[in-house]
Amino acid sequence: MTFDSGMPLVVELALFALAVVVLLMGIAGRPYLWQGPRSGPVGVAGGGPAGKAIGWVALGGLVAIFGLTFLATEGGSVLRGSFVQDSLAIFAKRLFIASAALSVLGSLTLPHASFSRRAGEYHFALIASLLGMSVLASARELVLLFVAFELMSIPLFLLTGFLKREAVAPEAALKFFLVGTASSAVIVYGMSFVYGVTGSTTLDAIPAAMIGGHPLMRLGMALLLAGLGFKIAAFPFHMWAPDTYEAASTPFVAWLSVAPKAAGFIAIIRLFVEGVGSAALVWMPAIAVLAGMTIVMGNLMAIPQQNIKRLLAYSGIAHIGYMLVGLAALSSSGVAMMLFYLVAYMFGNMGAFLVVEVVARSEQSDGIDAYRGLAQRSPLLALVMLIFLLSLGGIPFVAGFWAKLYVFWAAIERGLYGLVFLGAVLTVVALYYYLLVARRMYIEAPVRRDPVPVPGLLRAAIIVCVLGVVGMGIYPGPWVAMAMRVAATLF
Amino acid sequence: MTGDGTFALAALLLHALAFLVLAVVAPLRRLGRPAAWFSILCAAGSLVSALLAWQRHAGDAMSRLVWEWLPAQGQTLATVGVLADAESTIMLTLVALVACLVQVYSLGYLSDEPAPSLGRYYAYQSLFAFSMMGLVLAPNFVQLFICWELVGLCSYLLIGFWYYKPEAARAAVKAFWITKAGDVGLLIGIVLLWRQSGTFDLTEMRVLVDNGALPLAGLSLITFCIYLGAVGKSAQFPLHVWLPDAMEGPTPVSALIHAATMVTAGVYLLLRTEWLFALTPDVLLIVAWVGAFTALLAASLACAQDDIKRVLAYSTVSQLGYMMTAIGAGFAAAGFFHLLTHGLFKALLFLGAGAVIHAVHGNDLPQMGGLARRMPQTTVVFLVGTLSLAGIPLFGGFLSKEEILGAVWAGGLTGPFVLLMMVAFLTAFYMFRVVFLAFFGTPPARDTHPHDPPMTMALPLWILAALSLGVGIYFAVAGPALPFGPAEHEFTSPDWLMPAAVGAAVGGILLAWLTYQRRAIDAATLASALGPIRHAALRRFWMDDLFEGVYGLGLLGFSRLIGWIDRYLVDGVLNVVSAWTVTSGDDLRTMQTGRAQDYVYGVALGLMILLLWVRWALA
Repeated sequence: MTFDSGMPLVVELALFALAVVVLLMGIAGRPYLWQGPRSGPVGVAGGGPAGKAIGWVALGGLVAIFGLTFLATEGGSVLRGSFVQDSLAIFAKRLFIASAALSVLGSLTLPHASFSRRAGEYHFALIASLLGMSVLASARELVLLFVAFELMSIPLFLLTGFLKREAVAPEAALKFFLVGTASSAVIVYGMSFVYGVTGSTTLDAIPAAMIGGHPLMRLGMALLLAGLGFKIAAFPFHMWAPDTYEAASTPFVAWLSVAPKAAGFIAIIRLFVEGVGSAALVWMPAIAVLAGMTIVMGNLMAIPQQNIKRLLAYSGIAHIGYMLVGLAALSSSGVAMMLFYLVAYMFGNMGAFLVVEVVARSEQSDGIDAYRGLAQRSPLLALVMLIFLLSLGGIPFVAGFWAKLYVFWAAIERGLYGLVFLGAVLTVVALYYYLLVARRMYIEAPVRRDPVPVPGLLRAAIIVCVLGVVGMGIYPGPWVAMAMRVAATLF
Repeated sequence: MTGDGTFALAALLLHALAFLVLAVVAPLRRLGRPAAWFSILCAAGSLVSALLAWQRHAGDAMSRLVWEWLPAQGQTLATVGVLADAESTIMLTLVALVACLVQVYSLGYLSDEPAPSLGRYYAYQSLFAFSMMGLVLAPNFVQLFICWELVGLCSYLLIGFWYYKPEAARAAVKAFWITKAGDVGLLIGIVLLWRQSGTFDLTEMRVLVDNGALPLAGLSLITFCIYLGAVGKSAQFPLHVWLPDAMEGPTPVSALIHAATMVTAGVYLLLRTEWLFALTPDVLLIVAWVGAFTALLAASLACAQDDIKRVLAYSTVSQLGYMMTAIGAGFAAAGFFHLLTHGLFKALLFLGAGAVIHAVHGNDLPQMGGLARRMPQTTVVFLVGTLSLAGIPLFGGFLSKEEILGAVWAGGLTGPFVLLMMVAFLTAFYMFRVVFLAFFGTPPARDTHPHDPPMTMALPLWILAALSLGVGIYFAVAGPALPFGPAEHEFTSPDWLMPAAVGAAVGGILLAWLTYQRRAIDAATLASALGPIRHAALRRFWMDDLFEGVYGLGLLGFSRLIGWIDRYLVDGVLNVVSAWTVTSGDDLRTMQTGRAQDYVYGVALGLMILLLWVRWALA
């Protein structure tokens, strides 16, 4: 087979190759793995520069693969239609890879020794999970969907517990794993009902079965929605999120808070929206109720948080609720605006987490109190954080405003007035806790006066996020057009 | 025929570049003079671009460079870009010219300013020029309104540039609030108009109007609301009170913003939407009467001022009234013509006054006197400006004033016409009062050795003087054909008009000469003869008192009432709700037990909810 940069599997193959390269580099950097333990003292060999090199290879590879997605031709499919390269898949892959690259950029300078000593493992797990997402975005067959789902999830459990000697990391990883396994079981259970009704594992069979309205079909779909609800961390499936976020390394959390959730949404779109048409509307109340609960609970539980990572975890749950509002419209514009929201959320949320990493490195604390007087210490950093928070809060002329407005707009078109009202009211609550952080930064006096040092690579990642948030805020046109185009192919 | 909007866009973006660089690169801004030179360089480039744009669009050429901005459900809610045609590019050129000259002039005028504050000044100046040009070139009401607010912001920042002076800070706030009152009207008008026509775009709306597709019902209210915005910005009665106070800002700012450009934005807005106002003659009548009344009121106020800048400020209000009257009479082109010439000679007068203030370190006319010998250059250019404003043949303002008077007569508005003739007399009088008091007569005992300004200040003065004179001579030779706009508004002025207008002006000059130079008429006698009027004028016709009274009693009383309700009723409810919200957040937190089995119960709970819903809702 000759190399064709437009062929459907090219992104996945490239990711796989990158994962293998990173893994081999990791093994090469630790000679005792193949020469036996006597060849050198454990824990020293392969640290430092070699670890950095692996990170740079991973980053360079991700950037190159991101470029590769622009060569991919839309509309191809392999494996008898189980794997498709449509515009939704390409959109999702770009989102996953871009967020992964930002995360790797942020994690290159992590101070903990494990990150350089075991850089091969870290980046291998990350790219493997990314590969899972990438396949998931293209999967149009239940078994492939599930395998991709597990390929995405299992490395995430590993990465959460990466710092295995720290007290909290293994606990969080275990919780994440247990709840995740339960959810996977629910998904498989749901899939078995769907298969039982349709007699086929391809997603093409779902629309007809949904229109048929077989009770077992509905049962199966409800199970699928619940299982995917765990992945996107919708209430009440959200409980893993705050503990996991708090324990895991922040640049990884920045990615964890965006990419797997996006993957979950892509799966929901594939199962519930694509090709289903108006038959999907029976699910509108269920999704709307899920959205409403998630918005209320996420926002309310964020209020008392004193740890910024937990605060962002709950606020992220609330954002999932807003995206569900767009999805609940089950219309072309609703899905488009949800995708737009995803991109806005990616820039805003990842940016906020990266600032959290910067502050945590300087202050050794994730508490909100660490932000006291940040505006006096590092005015630019405080301003950037404020921009991210305002975008998350939905203030005009940063990305989040348009995202919320458009999602509400789509929901209004479907007559979901109550949901939009609820969402709008709770935006005020969200602003309250976001501005609590802003108050710490701008109004309270600093404990220390020295500026917070910003490592160069993190600075680069944060700048990308700021440009994204402000660019989408001032000139949302092209992003909306892109989301509309992707969504139009689903109906 | 289509032109090319790139030059207009370049003129706009150069100022944006200057502002962004000065705003972001703080070290450059803090250097002061280099920042100023950078800004001036951009302003000069912008002037060249504007001239080229004007040259490309001198005829009927029109070009639109528009980008989609705010998408809304498959269509575009608003665009940004430039709409370059004869009107907008000539206005653009005026803005670019005055902005550039004022920036050069400021270099000399603010030479004592500390470096960081000078950098700040030039950043504001650049932002102002960008916003004003964005307003002038706006292809739709959204961009127009955004720029409209931005120029208001810049005006606020520059009036309060010396924010440590309490009067300056107060004047800045006053200007902001009073123009804001009009802006609310403008915003309401724009939104109502959008509901009626379904578009913000000026060109599309014009097509609707030309095809008669715009419903006329309620249009009067809309145009009146839009006019309210112009009333605030262009200092029309009763919202004129902010402009004289705005003179607390540095004099070059007064020249640029509060004489030549920003305050004319209201007139420009009405000119741009002239076809819309033409559908509502009742509103136009209001425009004309308010304009004429404002002109007379401000002119009489100008006669009683002792502060040279305040005289000029009232004169600006008065001339804006002139322009508005012409628009009200249905001949917007005449008003626009006067706007352009006025922009030149009023900037000249302000910059000249600035030179005087710079030299004698004070604004008070009685403190001046006999400056003609000490500052011959300034005297000459100031005289050119004064003669232009008085409407003496061969000078800049002569023909445009004639045009307005002719237009108002042709529009059949006899009442406003009479008022304007009185204004013509008063204008000549108060301006020559300034000339005789400041430049002639006896110098005050306290000698401060005033001298002509340095090169950076003198050069803009001479350029503006040459232009004021040049425009006057050009039109005297070429005839009163307007160099822009459609020629459909032809009207013929009666033969007696020109002698009458010139006579009124000469009469004013004569009276000023007799009173303040020859002292043939005692100023005090004249004052006592006009006793009550003069007294009223000194109190600014109680307009400021009225506003203060309304503000103090009405507004503040109302505010206190609302404040009480807000504090005890609304806040009470809100406090309860927010306290309840915060506690509920606290309570809900206990849900997060930290035990993995509870998390799985959560999953199970969600699953139960969904299954129950499937069972009951879909069964």
